Amino acid sequence: MVWVLIERDLRTLVKSPFILINRTVFFLIQLFVFAVLVSKLASSLGFNYFDFYSVGAVVSTITSIAFIIGEDLFEEEEMGLLDYLLSLPFGHSLFVIGRALGGAVRGLIYVTPMMILVAYLDGYFSPLGVAGSLLVTFVLATGISGLSITLAMLIRNVNRFDITIALAELATVRVSAAIYPLEYMPKVLQPVATWSPVTSASDLVRAIFLPGYSAGVYETVVLALFVAVFFGLGSAFLFRKIEGGRFE
Amino acid sequence: MVEFRGVAKSFKGVEAVKDVTCEIRDREIFGLLGPNGAGKTTLIMTMATVYHPTRGEVLVDGHSASTEPDKVKALIGISFQDPKYDRILSAREILEWHAKVTGVEKSVREKRIDEVLAKFGLTGEARKRTWTLSGGTKKKIENAKVFVQRPKVAVFDEPTAYLDVPSRLMVWDMIDELRDEGSTVLLATNMMDEADRMSDRVGIMSNGQMVKVGEPDSLKGSLRGRDVIEMKLGVPIPELTGEVSKVEEVKDAQYEGDVLRIVLSNGRELLPHMINVVTAKGGKVLSVNLKEPSLEDVFLYYTGMKLS
Repeated sequence: MVWVLIERDLRTLVKSPFILINRTVFFLIQLFVFAVLVSKLASSLGFNYFDFYSVGAVVSTITSIAFIIGEDLFEEEEMGLLDYLLSLPFGHSLFVIGRALGGAVRGLIYVTPMMILVAYLDGYFSPLGVAGSLLVTFVLATGISGLSITLAMLIRNVNRFDITIALAELATVRVSAAIYPLEYMPKVLQPVATWSPVTSASDLVRAIFLPGYSAGVYETVVLALFVAVFFGLGSAFLFRKIEGGRFE
Repeated sequence: MVEFRGVAKSFKGVEAVKDVTCEIRDREIFGLLGPNGAGKTTLIMTMATVYHPTRGEVLVDGHSASTEPDKVKALIGISFQDPKYDRILSAREILEWHAKVTGVEKSVREKRIDEVLAKFGLTGEARKRTWTLSGGTKKKIENAKVFVQRPKVAVFDEPTAYLDVPSRLMVWDMIDELRDEGSTVLLATNMMDEADRMSDRVGIMSNGQMVKVGEPDSLKGSLRGRDVIEMKLGVPIPELTGEVSKVEEVKDAQYEGDVLRIVLSNGRELLPHMINVVTAKGGKVLSVNLKEPSLEDVFLYYTGMKLS
């Protein structure tokens, strides 16, 4: 039954090719214009920025997409779709899990071609490793979906939510090692970025794709903790609201 | 089939539904009437387990909506007043997903969707995104969800709103067929002709309370003695209201513009006499209309909106 709920997200996804194309074009420009140029600038440092950034670009993209689920919830409430969804024959808890996972699966589908392209460009050809990197991004997306749902449940106004989400997205992506290495960040932000799940996901994927990068237990624990906390919080808040709060 | 036992529902301290007790019998069409804000939709959503009752209990086929929501939801299908589906999707996709999620067997799903789409004349538009369709077509798709599902308890909230006359008649026929196949139907409507034609029994809600339940004919009979004679006069004569009120059977007489409106019992028999009373006092009667109680009068009477 969870799959049927996720299927709804996928049906609406494939009906929005413009968004898909838009995101893909944005990603390609970032990769082949921005990353290539900055890589040339950084070459004097003996650092391959293109490889570094290519992984970070995929992780940043799935982070942005996973944040959308909160907006979907506002939209569904505004259009009265929640009444319909909640009247269907599945438990409220299943509904909550379906929404959170739906956001993550949608994100995964967006970035799978991007991840394959990046693996190819980075000279990495193991299907198992690509599958592992997709798993890492899926786990991150689940946590980000949970964070987005938590914020949507705490903030009652859609305009405030949009601003908060923009800030949250900026903070999670920019204060992380997705786009630039930690050692080049301001000292004050480095500890925060070290704890960022986006940093952990980026480092884990780099460790799979790129020689000379390593990641392991610490990054896995940070990512797992992030997912556990925000998937749990998001689910709990959404469940509580459905069971007797705002959606009435 | 459905029992409301002292059901109440409050939102932030405001009671939208107040101690509603009534029963919807197996395989009947139950018309739920009430002015806007009377609590009809809240009552439906409480039955559908979307809202939890503040007090009381709803039982659907013996299952409690509070403690066995999944069993209750498996029995219910709702056609909402305003279409509720993803408008980026086509009618076929909406119906396919609805059928799948409500457990319509795969072997019959496609055939049933094709049949319902054909009945609504939507076959040609079945693959268009629904946001591009007219209001009436969107409403047909909302109704189609329930006809594809064929639930044990079918709820239609204003099923013929936005529909043209042929479509209205078709929806009525399809609801009748649904009942004949074994469904119990809850029909929430503001259209009295619809409620009168379709319902085995009606319940009238006002201010969150179920103020009257009964068969349409028996409810109309309960207003016996409230016939209305409307006389359009050339020139309204103020004293006439007092004059006609002297007749024992007359309960009320007042002007609405140049129309003298007399509420009385035995209107059919007394009509010639009332005309005599008016003409004897110099009134020039241009036209006369005798109205016996309709379901609309019953509705207005019990909701206290006009006649009382």
